[in-house]
Amino acid sequence: MADSPTPAMFAIITTNKDSVMSGGMAPVFVAANDVERDRVAMWLCRITNAIVHDLHNGTVVLTVSHSSS
Amino acid sequence: MSGSTPPINWDPMIVGFLAGFISRVLYLRSGKSHNPGYPSGYIIQLAIAVISAMIGSVVIVALLGKEFTAATFLTLAATQFFNVRSNERKTLEQEEGLILVGRGAGYIEGIAITYEARNFLAMLTALATSLVSELNIWAGIVGGIVFIVFGEMYMSGPRMGELVDVKPTELRFEKGSLLYAGSVMLMEVGLADSRQRLTKYGMAVTLTPKNARGQAALWNIAQRQAIAHEAAAAVGVQKDVGYPEQTPLCRMDMPAGTGIAAFAIIPVERDMEKLIKAIRNVPVLESGKWARMHDSRKRKEDAHG
Repeated sequence: MADSPTPAMFAIITTNKDSVMSGGMAPVFVAANDVERDRVAMWLCRITNAIVHDLHNGTVVLTVSHSSS
Repeated sequence: MSGSTPPINWDPMIVGFLAGFISRVLYLRSGKSHNPGYPSGYIIQLAIAVISAMIGSVVIVALLGKEFTAATFLTLAATQFFNVRSNERKTLEQEEGLILVGRGAGYIEGIAITYEARNFLAMLTALATSLVSELNIWAGIVGGIVFIVFGEMYMSGPRMGELVDVKPTELRFEKGSLLYAGSVMLMEVGLADSRQRLTKYGMAVTLTPKNARGQAALWNIAQRQAIAHEAAAAVGVQKDVGYPEQTPLCRMDMPAGTGIAAFAIIPVERDMEKLIKAIRNVPVLESGKWARMHDSRKRKEDAHG
């Protein structure tokens, strides 16, 4: 059902490398600054149909829902 | 059939048939907002209307003519109408994958059940009318009208507008990225571009329940999906594949749990009147009718007061 998604972490994009540990299920993209981070987030989200969430610590995460369109 | 049987009186059958047919056709009017929306759909509905009214009206005449075999065909035909429901469900489920804002399983089931029920109602109306017409043709005509009106009143379930107040509200962002409509937090939007679009083009309403039943309906996620679908069908939605954060959303006031819901959409047609009218017209789903749900806080107040 479209309204009750079960999101899965798809990618992590950060400007603060120390705030993220690698080894999880999602790839980590390191961006030089906020503008670059938002640009990468936007591209990835349009390509993969993901939703971007801002954690407000320099990191944004992309989640995909199994039924989202 | 020998010469000893009296000639068949056709009048009850005709009156019964007309009553059943009208009862079925009347539903097409209330169903036009979602389905059927195309000429071929109407033809199917009219054909089924003719068949069900025919079956209902023929029973009494057949029994009086001592044609018991014909009467038993009624039960046979009834099983056929179960297929109408699964056909309707199948069609709508197929459509679900093709539309951006789905109806949701709860709404589809509601539509399918109503379709099936309408056929049996047409059959019963035809049966009852032909029975009364057998006694007196004028009584039959009056009875037919009464049955149609009664059926129409009984079968049209409540609409959201009767249970909740729909009022326009503004969309805003708090803490940088949390989308609020009125007092209700809807979602977290991480993309600056999407945030701009939502504040610039978005429209929002709050849904305040008038009573416990309205609140029960709003807590039901299938009900809110039905609201999202009907709203998107009415004003359109600026959304495409690859823009999941621009999906129209209907969310409850959480974690406060006040029972108030808010709905946000990026419409194609910026018409608040139309949006509110569409939401008020959404049928209350059967899965949302929790008659026994009470607001525990309110009950406590009642007990003390």
